[in-house]
Amino acid sequence: MSAQMDNNKENAMAQEGFDPRILGFFCHWCCYAAADSAGVSRYQYPPNVRVVRVMCTGRIDTRFVLEAFKCGADGVFTGG
Amino acid sequence: MAEVARQALADAGVNPQRMSLEWASAAEGPRFVELITYYVNKIKGLGALGQGENEPEADVIARRLSAAVKAAGARKPRTAFGTLAKKMAKSGDYSPEAVSEAVRTKVMPGLRAERIAEEILICLADGAKSAADLAAMTGADDAEVEKALTALAKKKAVREEGAGWALG
Repeated sequence: MSAQMDNNKENAMAQEGFDPRILGFFCHWCCYAAADSAGVSRYQYPPNVRVVRVMCTGRIDTRFVLEAFKCGADGVFTGG
Repeated sequence: MAEVARQALADAGVNPQRMSLEWASAAEGPRFVELITYYVNKIKGLGALGQGENEPEADVIARRLSAAVKAAGARKPRTAFGTLAKKMAKSGDYSPEAVSEAVRTKVMPGLRAERIAEEILICLADGAKSAADLAAMTGADDAEVEKALTALAKKKAVREEGAGWALG
């Protein structure tokens, strides 16, 4: 029983300390600029997103998304 | 594209909510912050890849996704995708239900068949396996595996070996 409780506690702690790795595909003209302006205006936002800048959201292919998850991303955020 | 990606992820066992498509214009810094914060919290709620609800183990997901990446580059599903895109531009119906239904019936069958075939090749790379084992590993039903094996055998990519199958 106590072992199980320990286990649960450990899981909960792991969950709390979980730092997701998220890949972001940002459009150069929209979301990337929005992210830039958010940074310039000193808004706080989570640092979990690794950004790939694309010249247009239309450039993104199903393969990119699948490949990102294959490489171990926990999520893919596409910003147009 | 987003709908194809979502359904392909679901096919590979990944929760499709992990993929998100949002819009924020260049002037919408605060909105962007809101979107990112919401999304990061959502992923935190889902847990790491392979730990979410109904998600298979991380190594199974990795195998499924490697197969899915190859399948997404295959000619047949890409042609189906292009044809569907043209057809939708003509009809002008972009409602989420219509898109989802069209992708499910027109693109996914080909994509799933390719994914199963690619995954069979990956599974067989480390030794011969029976059709039932392959069905369990790929998460496909017996008929789908049978069909994929027949097609692969025709291309001499696999061959029957005793009661099982091996790379040809």
